Amino acid sequence: MKFVVLTKAAVPLSSAIRIDPKTGTLIREGVPLSVNQWDRDAVEFALKLRDKYGGEVIAISMAPPSGIPALESLIGMGVDRAILATDRAFAGADTWATSFVLAKTIEKYVPDYTLVIAGEETIDSTTAHVGAQVASHLNIPYVYYVYDAEIHGNKVRVRRFLEDEGVDEFYEMDLPALISVAKGTQMPREISLLRKINARDRIMQATNKELGLDPECVGLKGSPTFVAGQTGATFPPRKRKIFAGDPRESVKALVEELKKEGLL
Amino acid sequence: MSSKFDVIVVGAGPAGLAAAYKLASAGFKVLVLERGREPGSKQVYGGRIYAYWLDKYLPEFRKDAPTDRWVRKERVSLMTDESVTTIEFEVVKPEKTSFVTSLYSFTSWLGKLAASAGAKIVTEVVVDELLRDEKGRFIGVRSGQDKVYADYIIDAEGVNRLLLERAGIVPRLKPELVAVGAKEVLKFDNRKIMEDRLGLSEDEGLAWAFAGWPTEYLPGGGFLYTYRDSVALGVVVYLTAWRQLVTPVYDLAERLRTHPYIARLVAGASLQEYSAHLTPVAGISMAPPRFSYDGLLIAGDAAGFLMHAGVLIRGVDFAVASGVLAAEAIKEAGRPDALSRYDDKLKSSFIIRDLAAFRNADKVLSGQFAFNDLPKLVNALMRNYFTIEDRPPTIASALKTTLGESNVSLTKVLINMMYALAYL
Ligand SMILES: Cc1cc2nc3c(=O)[nH]c(=O)nc-3n(C[C@H](O)[C@H](O)[C@H](O)COP(=O)(O)OP(=O)(O)OC[C@H]3O[C@@H](n4cnc5c(N)ncnc54)[C@H](O)[C@@H]3O)c2cc1C
Ligand SMILES: Cc1cc2nc3c(=O)[nH]c(=O)nc-3n(C[C@H](O)[C@H](O)[C@H](O)COP(=O)(O)OP(=O)(O)OC[C@H]3O[C@@H](n4cnc5c(N)ncnc54)[C@H](O)[C@@H]3O)c2cc1C
Repeated sequence: MKFVVLTKAAVPLSSAIRIDPKTGTLIREGVPLSVNQWDRDAVEFALKLRDKYGGEVIAISMAPPSGIPALESLIGMGVDRAILATDRAFAGADTWATSFVLAKTIEKYVPDYTLVIAGEETIDSTTAHVGAQVASHLNIPYVYYVYDAEIHGNKVRVRRFLEDEGVDEFYEMDLPALISVAKGTQMPREISLLRKINARDRIMQATNKELGLDPECVGLKGSPTFVAGQTGATFPPRKRKIFAGDPRESVKALVEELKKEGLL
Repeated sequence: MSSKFDVIVVGAGPAGLAAAYKLASAGFKVLVLERGREPGSKQVYGGRIYAYWLDKYLPEFRKDAPTDRWVRKERVSLMTDESVTTIEFEVVKPEKTSFVTSLYSFTSWLGKLAASAGAKIVTEVVVDELLRDEKGRFIGVRSGQDKVYADYIIDAEGVNRLLLERAGIVPRLKPELVAVGAKEVLKFDNRKIMEDRLGLSEDEGLAWAFAGWPTEYLPGGGFLYTYRDSVALGVVVYLTAWRQLVTPVYDLAERLRTHPYIARLVAGASLQEYSAHLTPVAGISMAPPRFSYDGLLIAGDAAGFLMHAGVLIRGVDFAVASGVLAAEAIKEAGRPDALSRYDDKLKSSFIIRDLAAFRNADKVLSGQFAFNDLPKLVNALMRNYFTIEDRPPTIASALKTTLGESNVSLTKVLINMMYALAYL
């Protein structure tokens, strides 16, 4: 069985997120990328399925080459191999153009895939669109917010949990299919040094020379989304008050002050 | 999966990477393990690297290492809350003897050099233990559940040296042996503004040390270095003095930035980075009993190869040179049990010679005089000399008045001055 897991090399901390004031887009240059936190759940999910049913886990990511270290750490977790779709032409993609490239990469390099596994959403854009769109490009069924899955013959049976209702839902889909894993539900395993040492050998890079996609369908050109406008949250000037001295007293004073400001 | 290497280097700092580069270039199969995200991401330093020994040990740096600014101006300031007395040194013709650059860019340059020579650098890996066989020889490292083996281990883990401590080679670090540094990087929108304020021409660098007020007159000092379009501003304070500080260590850099004298120099610059790190101060007195063991060599800060000369800290050139010597020792030894030549090489190099000369510097410098009496006296003296009131100022009368105002005797000043000058 072949489990394809989609992982994004994301801008890690919210504090590292900066928006270009002119174009309104996320500044990715010069920012260290790391595996989107919720994709570690997806990877762990995939590894568990592989450990149970046998086969292979293949991570696929679209990112600039600075996304390679993120893939190395996934190989360190136990992913068998990884494919990085990377090309200048892919830059500036919205979710549609991103999922198009991901779907085409799967079709080309893992045509006999069993199940595609995505994270619930990313920490740096949080649209949760990509999974569904990849499934649409591949023309396969999908279910989101999955907690666990069992494979029976050519069907997958998944459970998802509805928090508000407090009920479990079960779905059965024909394979191949796509699921997105509910965030925070898995315990991602540790990264092994021995696996990491040779991780680079297990990462393949595919540019558009190999993928051969229509330049009109990828990157900025292939993205129907445009930023029509944006309202930035303005930062109120900081008051820079320091409550020093006895911690009990200063906390009291701080609480009083916050109440006065109407914040508590 | 291959898990046997010729050499494992712990720590991708200047020491570890210099060793890895030289060994990989000589055909050794080298693995470098670093806990940071990438080489250089865990380092903190002030800002200046001396070129003299790099020319001997790593001449490659002249070709393409990042050197933001070659130092043209040296300043030492004695600082109080009210005034600042500065000595400035500048040679008439620019010389390329030391440069200011961020340690991060220098280390990543060295990392790329090592990687292109064939060394394998694996990051985000914490080494938990140095492995020994039943005879006590060092044979590999453990990280989590994983063990990796090699004929030679180079420990270049830096000042904290938890691995050497766990291996029973060094005792726990004592406060007398280290200082803590906190630093800010302040970026100017326009580097011309920075150059004008500090009196620099384009591409010229400034290395500036402060004694007195920045550490609340406790042992240590402040520093300011000019990167390309930003300054590194920080404070180093001996850990023994930590309890006497009124300001928490982590606020010392900000406190210095807001001193009215400094504030106007950095006005408008934005805070880019904030960091803190330990640094050895005891130099050779904190060295492990030996630098080589069966299968193991110790280089850089981990070995105590750092010179703390007054308010200046110098460790990068020592780290690089010791890494290169470790590589040479391994190349020549041919066997893991013939590494004592590394100790010999260190002894006949500038490293041990220079550090031995400064063996007691930390003790002299940790006294009251250099950081408390001297800055206060000199500033009082200058004020008395330069302020015109109803008596004519001469140096002698100013000195007499100043000493009369303080409780320090002239003899004590002279004796201490000589001691301090020997090290400052
Ligand atoms: C209005 C708007 C405008 C935008 N404009 C721009 C722009 O101009 N330029 C720009 O660069 N970005 C832009 N983006 C962001 C861009 O659309 C997304 O970063 C990207 O397409 C992925 O979407 P996401 O991060 O929301 O992923 P989600 O849909 O939240 O991710 C769900 C899952 O899909 C998978 N996945 C997502 N991305 C990848 C990937 N790259 N590789 C592999 N798997 C992946 C992961 O498993 C992930 O957990 C914009 C977003 C919005 C909402
Ligand atoms: C505030 C301050 C100012 C300074 N100013 C200057 C200056 O201006 N000029 C100068 O020449 N020197 C200066 N120094 C000293 C200089 O930074 C050091 O001497 C130099 O970095 C030592 O290099 P190293 O390779 O021995 O150790 P480090 O640079 O400390 O590198 C050690 C590396 O090992 C890694 N590591 C540690 N333990 C493990 C482990 N268990 N597993 C994996 N990786 C591990 C660390 O993450 C680190 O990357 C300053 C130091 C400080 C703190």
